[in-house]
Parts: sequence; C-alpha cells; structure tokens
Amino acid sequence: MLASLLPGTRAARVRLALVAGLGLLALLVPVLAGLHENVDPDNASARFDMILGTEAIVLGLWAVSFNLMLGYTGMVSFAHAAYYGVGAYSVAILNTKFHMPVLLALLLAPFITGIFGLVTGVFALRAVRLYFSLLTLAISQLLFVVALEWYDFTGGDNGVHNLKIPDNLLNAQNLYFIVLAVAVVCLALMYLLTRSPFGAALLTIRENRQRASSVGLNVKAYELAVFTIASAFAGVAGGLYAIYDQQAYPQLLYWTSNAQPVVIALLGGIGSFLGPIVGAVIFTYLSTTIGKSAPFQFDIVLGAIVLAVVLIAPGGFISIPSLFARLRSRFRRGEVEQAPEESAGEAMASLKVGSAIAATTQVAVVRSEVALLKIEGLSKSFGGLKAVRDVNLKVRQGDLHAIIGPNGAGKSTLFNLITGLLKPTSGSITFAGHDITGKADYSIAKAGIGRAFQITNIFPKLSVRQNVQYSMLAFRGITRRPFGFAERIFREEADQLLESVGLGPFVDLPAGQLSHGDQRALELAISIALGSKLLLLDEPTAGMSPYETEKAMELVRRLATERGLTLLFCEHDMSVVFNTAHTVTVMNQGSVLVEGTPAEVRSNPDVQRVYLGELETSA
Amino acid sequence: MDLGNLLLYTLAGLSLAAVLFIVAAGLSLVFGALRVINMAHGSLFMIGAFVAWFIVARLAGSAFGFWGAILVAPAITALIGGVVEIVVLKPIYGQEHLLQLLGTYALTLVFAGAVRLIFGPDVRSLQAPDILNTAVHINGHSFAVYNLFLMGFAVVIAGALYLLLNRTGLGRNIRAAISDPELLAASGINVTRLFTTVFMIGTALAGLGGVLVAPSQSVDPGMDANTLINAFAISVIGGLGSLMGSFVGAIIVGLVLSYGFAVPQTAPWATAFVFAAMAIVLTIRPWGLFGRPER
Repeated sequence: MLASLLPGTRAARVRLALVAGLGLLALLVPVLAGLHENVDPDNASARFDMILGTEAIVLGLWAVSFNLMLGYTGMVSFAHAAYYGVGAYSVAILNTKFHMPVLLALLLAPFITGIFGLVTGVFALRAVRLYFSLLTLAISQLLFVVALEWYDFTGGDNGVHNLKIPDNLLNAQNLYFIVLAVAVVCLALMYLLTRSPFGAALLTIRENRQRASSVGLNVKAYELAVFTIASAFAGVAGGLYAIYDQQAYPQLLYWTSNAQPVVIALLGGIGSFLGPIVGAVIFTYLSTTIGKSAPFQFDIVLGAIVLAVVLIAPGGFISIPSLFARLRSRFRRGEVEQAPEESAGEAMASLKVGSAIAATTQVAVVRSEVALLKIEGLSKSFGGLKAVRDVNLKVRQGDLHAIIGPNGAGKSTLFNLITGLLKPTSGSITFAGHDITGKADYSIAKAGIGRAFQITNIFPKLSVRQNVQYSMLAFRGITRRPFGFAERIFREEADQLLESVGLGPFVDLPAGQLSHGDQRALELAISIALGSKLLLLDEPTAGMSPYETEKAMELVRRLATERGLTLLFCEHDMSVVFNTAHTVTVMNQGSVLVEGTPAEVRSNPDVQRVYLGELETSA
Repeated sequence: MDLGNLLLYTLAGLSLAAVLFIVAAGLSLVFGALRVINMAHGSLFMIGAFVAWFIVARLAGSAFGFWGAILVAPAITALIGGVVEIVVLKPIYGQEHLLQLLGTYALTLVFAGAVRLIFGPDVRSLQAPDILNTAVHINGHSFAVYNLFLMGFAVVIAGALYLLLNRTGLGRNIRAAISDPELLAASGINVTRLFTTVFMIGTALAGLGGVLVAPSQSVDPGMDANTLINAFAISVIGGLGSLMGSFVGAIIVGLVLSYGFAVPQTAPWATAFVFAAMAIVLTIRPWGLFGRPER
C-alpha cells in the first residue's frame, strides 16, 4: 500500500528511509533513556533524556509548521514564536484560570491560536514580501507586549505557572508518548495538506507569485490560509510545551525566539517535509551541549549555521536538498547523480505535422462577427502621461488580431489593462458580455482571458507537467481542496496537452531548464489548459531566432485553429504580423490609429508614415 | 496634563525621534539602493553603543572620549558593514528576498552572541560630555541639554544626507539605484562599489545612532531588538527608501512613544501604539507615506 503511494525514485526511497529512521528513533528514546538510567542509576538523567526527546518532538512540530510558510509558500514570518507562545498561554490560562484539563485545553489551543493568526494575518498580508516580514515582526512584538503587560490575565513578566497536570502525565514516559502521538497526528495532517491541491497552489505561489495570480489564484487568500494553518499548528506545539514545561512566560513570544524555527527548518533543509524534524533532533542535541555550557557561543553557532546554509546553497532553498542528495550520493556511492538533461528547442522543431495542418486550415478559420472582447473609451494616465487614450477596440470571436505600433504606443499598457494588472482611469472593458473593467487579475483569468508574457513567465522549479497540472487545479478552483493528491489530478490531460505542443519528452524536467522557445510553448500550454477563450500574447517571438519564430507562430496558429481560440497579440516582427493576423490594429501615442485587414493596414498612408515608414528608413 | 508637560513630552519625543531618524535613515537608504532589508541594522546600532562605552570608559570620562567615539564607532560599524556586504550580501543579490532576510537575520544572532561574549550581559551607562551634561528649565521643568543636542545633530545629519543625495555624484548614483536598479546596471556605474559604499554609509549611521543614544539611555545587550523594530516601524510608516519618509516616520514614532509613556495608564502599551500608528498608515497606504508600491 505504502509502496504504491510513492514513486519508485531514489528520492522516494530516501524519504521512506528517513521516515522509518525517525520513527525508530522516536520509539527508541524511552529504551535509550532506560539504558542510560541503568548505567548511571544515581542521577535523574533518564527523566532528563525523556524530556529532551519530548522537546525535540515539539520543536520539530513547530518548525514543520513554520516551514509550511517558508519552504512551501516562500513567506518569511517573524511572528511564529508569538503563535507558539499564544498556544502555550492558551493551555496555561485555560488550565489555571478556567480549571480545564490540560489535554482538553490542548484541543482548543489550535483554534485560539488560529484565530490570532487569522486576525493578525489579515493585517500583515496588507503588504507583500519584505513589508510582510516587517509586519510580522511588529505583530510578534505587539503580542509580546500584551503578554508582558496584561498582569491580571497573563501574569505579566512572571508568566503562568503551576499548571494542574494529572499524575499519569507527570510520568516522563507517558508524557513522551502522548506528545509523540499528538505530533504524529499533526504531522500527518500537514503532510497531506502539502500533497493536496491546496499544497500545489502554495508551491505555485512560492515559484512565481504573479503567474500564480494570473492562473486564477487569489494569492493573498492562500497566503492568509497557510498563515492561519501554520499558526494553529504552532499553537499545538506551544500547548504541548506548556504541558511538559508546566508554564508559559512572555519570553516565548519574543522576536528572538523565532531563531528556533528558522534555524531548525534551515538546519534540516526546508525543501523537504521532514527536514525540520531532523533539524530539531540536531538542534536539541546542540542546545543541550553547547547551549547549556556556553549560551553566548550558542547564538553565534546558530547564526553561523543559518549563514552557512544561505551562502552555500546560492541557488535558493530548493537546491539545498538536491545539493545534499548530490553530496550524499557522491559520498556514499562514489557516483555523481546524473545531471538533468536540458532541452534545446526540440519541441519547436518537432512540429512539422502541425505546420501542415496549420497551412491547410489557416484560411478556413471561422470568424464570427460577435465581439468577444469589447473595449470602449479606455484611457490610462500615469501622472501627467496619458499612456492609453480613448481606445475603442473589438476583438471578434475566433479572430487572430494583432496590435502593432512603435515603442511607447501603449500596447503593453493596454494588455495590462485588459488582464487587470492595471486599473483604467476611465472607459470600460467587456469580455463575453461581462463587464470586467477594473476587476482583479485572477478573476479576469478565471473569466477566460489568458496571457503569455513578454518576459517568459512560468514556475521554474516545478516540473513541466506540474506547471500545467497545477495551473489547471488553480484555475478550476480545485486548489481550495485541502485533501487528495495533487499529483494524481489532471495528470493525463496535462501529458496529452504537453504532447500536442511538442513537450512530451520533457514532462518531468524542471521547467526552468527548458530552452527559451520551449518555455514559450509551455506558457501556451498553460494558457490552453486554463481553457482561455481569449489568449493575449505579448511579443510571442521576442528573442527567438527566425527559425524558432516560424515554428512558434505555426504552433500558435495551429492551436488557435484546433482549439477555437481567439488571439490578441502584439508583435514587432512585421512578417509575423502579416502572416498570422486577420485583423490588425495600429496604435500610436496611446490611441488607435487605424484598424483593418493586413492589406488595408499595409496600404494606409497614415500607417506608412507613422510606423512602416519608420521601419523602412531604419532598415 | 498641562501645557508645560505637553511641551516637555513633545521635546522628549523629538529627541527620541532624532536618534531613531538617524538609525532608520541608514536602514532605509540601504533598502532603497540595494533592495535589502538589513536585519542586522539594530545589531550594528548596539555595537556602536558598546564601542562608545568602551572608548569613554577607557579614556576615563575625558571630554575627548565621547567626541572621539562619535567619530570612531561609526567608522568601526561601517567597516563591519563593508565586510558583511562583501562576504554575506554580494553572493545573494538578485536571489529571493528570503535569503537576504535570513542571511542578515543570522548576523543578528552572531552579533548578539559576540557582544554578550565580549562585553558580558551587564547593563552599562555612559555620561554625556560635561558641556552637554546640564539642563535647561522649561516652564519649571528641567530638560537635558543633551536631548536638545540630539535634535540639532539629527537635523544636521538630515541636511548632510540631503546634500549627499542631491548634490554629489555618489548621491546621483544612489538615487538612480533607488528609482531604477535595472537601468543602473546598464549605465556603466560600478554597481559593486556603489553597493558597498551605500551599505557602509547605512551601517555607519546605525553605529552613530548607537553612540548618540548611549548617554541618554543605557547600553545593554538587548538594545538591538527594540531599536530595530522601531526603525522598521518608522520605515513602514514613512516608506522604505525615502529620506523624507524616515524623517516624518521618526517624528511620528518618537512622539507616539513619548506621549504613550507620559500617561501612567498607557505607559505599558506605548509600544503597542506605535503598531497602531503603523496599522492606520498601512490601511491607507500599504507602502508607507512617502514610499512607492512594490510589486
């Protein structure tokens, strides 16, 4: 059963070995502690060992919940210690003030902490990235001040002590197993979450926030969700702490306490789910050896560890596990893991059949007179500069519609207005009968407008298949599901689609390793996978060789025909425009100059003056 | 609270703002030009204060001690900053922001440990030089001249930074870096050296703040955290990368703290008021009063 869950790769075998090793270690701790006592029966070291084991488990749980943000979503929070502290206080206060049994209090802790996380998260997520991190720091300090100053409720700087722990929990071994059981349940829940469609959405956000939004994810909502979930699990860890240490005190919430989850997660490797657990074991060992005898040096050691990880793995966090894996395999087997092959434009080259189809069907494109996209009186000003002024444009269903114009004509701004990256100053945009003016980019993507970007915009560290698969999950709203296995949904659809754009051989390759042209093909595949009715292509052939250009446009034409897409694209290469487009709109200085068939546009004297003339004189 | 008290607390707030401005301006300058949040900024502030204490204690209270410290401590923190920039930051420019946050965060641990290791965990105090160690009387209350000196000093630093940014070639390059990092790289400026220089200026300001704060507050190994958080709050309120933002943000934070501490009932919550101010600004302008939206 377990074997069928995991693919038979080396990574999977390593993971399985890790799980087995950690499980064995967890079960062996009481035995080892007992042995220790036999050897040295006079001191209380057995109990001490058990508590160390307990501590390692709690720290591991805490760090794994932290890693849901750091490793899976790419968020750096400096408030995680605060939620751990809130969890500890919840249990301590419920127990001492409301006389609730500790285990019942522990059950409530994640809900209380989750609410704290949700409310403070709304505030922190007003900002993105760096500002977000600063805000979490502020929140953490705020909660610390509350814990420190609210004497009547939190006991101020004394904290809360004298929890009423039932006798059977005072036994170190019983306590250990209860903590272990709670931790295993929490870890299993978090693991399933990371493998679920919801977890897939988190990975896309980590990889490329903007692209995640353009495939239909409400990024902030997902970030808030994972922030809340991580807080809730931190609350469980904190609650367990209050039980085994029988106290809660303000220092738990202090911002420097965040060093623990950060160091533990980095120590074990944030690229893997169980990494932080390994980190917790090492950390606990270090803190009982160096930490006890030389606390100041311990800070320095922790700092040095984080620095070493940051500097030695310059390719980003994801490279850390593979770096370890490479070192490990070199060390153990004396062999270097085979470097992943790179693609070099094969996808484009393998499209001969496609071009044949395209050539025969190009003329027969059904072009209805129904306007799929209707833009009326659209303007956008940046300060005094009118980048787009009073633009009226109709894109007909099934059309291949090009927008041309010299640099600064407002083409990119117009695209940004259509896809919701910019809000118009005035005017309206109607898509398929619905007003989409000023809507958020993800809801416009949901409505059926896809976009391939001027700068190739994919999820570089996810595999080619995952790029398509996860985009489909996101777009269809399945990523809201926190259960199920993301890898199994839409797998075949993704493979078929990738086959049809010529990327069949590369489905397992990280998308960032595809050649430039192939990344474009992948982008197209993503847009098609989203079921976009209207596809916006921003200079689809920029940076390509003439050969690649030809192949890419063949692919575009073929896909448009086969899948009944409407295309709106801007392009500098006139041969591409006149070979592909059925309708051409010429823009100049923010407004529409002329619209018509390629032949009409070519012969228009205004256009020749403004645009083509300029090209000829420069050529 | 009568008017005299109000004036007194306003002055106290402004002198607090003076030091905070100097520290926050360094943080903000570094962010503006390098797009790096230096988590270790508070640590360098602390190192500045400890170096000042060391110099003054060694030179046994002579007037030169403090004035020497004002020159030497920022130079030392600038040197540390230069090493940090070259060794830690250079390899991770252009990478995810996480790495820079975590890298400089690691440094806060290293510096905190080092300071405690070298100087021990004790709280120390430092005398202001005699010439400033007097008080003036305002409405029957005495007010330390040193605090007035701080305000004057901060205005001088603000003026100097303004001139640096707007009247020198270095300043022009820094402004170019602030407004368009990509263009900067294409314009033939030695970006490597510019970044090191800016980072050293920023850390020198942190160290200077440390020296200045030493006589008016205490020198203790926990001072890095609170100042860092206040500097962050100022940057969030004023907007990262803006000198004007640091100036206005520092005044807001300084006054909020001072007024908060003034009333016994609210004193414990003064820090919380700073965050309330932050919350209000963020609700209206998530990128700060004088900042620019980040994508």
